[in-house]
Amino acid sequence: MDHFERLGQPRQHALDRDALETEYLARAAKAHPDKVDQDDASAKRAAMETSAAINEAYRTLRDPAKRAEYLVKLGGRDLDSSDPDVGAPKMPQAFLMEMIEHRERVVDARSAGADALDDLREDVDGQQGDALAEAVLAIAKGDTEAASRHLVVRRYLQRLLDEIDDEG
Amino acid sequence: MAYSEKVIEHYDNPRNVGSLNKGDDDVGTGIVGAPACGDVMKLQIKVEDGVIKDAKFKTYGCGSAIASSSLVTEWVKGMSIEEAGSIKNSQIAEELALPPVKIHCSVLAEDAIKAAIKDYQEKNGQADGQAQ
Repeated sequence: MDHFERLGQPRQHALDRDALETEYLARAAKAHPDKVDQDDASAKRAAMETSAAINEAYRTLRDPAKRAEYLVKLGGRDLDSSDPDVGAPKMPQAFLMEMIEHRERVVDARSAGADALDDLREDVDGQQGDALAEAVLAIAKGDTEAASRHLVVRRYLQRLLDEIDDEG
Repeated sequence: MAYSEKVIEHYDNPRNVGSLNKGDDDVGTGIVGAPACGDVMKLQIKVEDGVIKDAKFKTYGCGSAIASSSLVTEWVKGMSIEEAGSIKNSQIAEELALPPVKIHCSVLAEDAIKAAIKDYQEKNGQADGQAQ
């Protein structure tokens, strides 16, 4: 059972957040391990596993980026894997060079002061949002390959944001 | 996660951080990235008569990625490009005592030195990877 089925949602990126939360709460309450016979060890274990799966499904689906990555995973590209055939696709040199330059900009901005860092943050955050939006469009078209490339771009930019926030 | 002493040592005191002039004919540049975590690594070599005279790196990533690239730049200085091209990630991982979840950092460093050598060879008309 995938995360969408687990929470009774259509397998698509556009979800109704309120409906998702309502379903999650109802299903989590129903599956709660306290509801089974406490002397029945196997029933208790099964309930715990179901609860954990429901929580995991909700964590994945409520976050737009994780939801997009999950859809791409269902489409055959697991971005946590570095296998270029079934994992995250390799990025072109020009893109990686750009990421290195971005990182150098973080170092410069940090020594230039808080305003420079804020500007950079805003810029990178915008790009990160654009990459996700492109990925969502590609997913809607059923183009897993294009979506996975946009999502990898987003991951690099997210990593950059983490770095900006880290010591900033 | 516990880092090994060698990783921490390279992380605290990285060797050969910096850049060489990408446009120079005797400089090869390798840029690689780990898409799963967003780490990026740039490794450059300066070659004279088939021997690596200098090596520099810039790595934006975790301690293991920095240590792996620092170690490789240290190793390759004085090596022929053939020797440098035969460095295996397992040697890096072993030297730094990397745990299984950090093996990909040593793979990144191996990919980076190979990419730098390839770039140098392409610039110098040895696109087939043959030595002079």
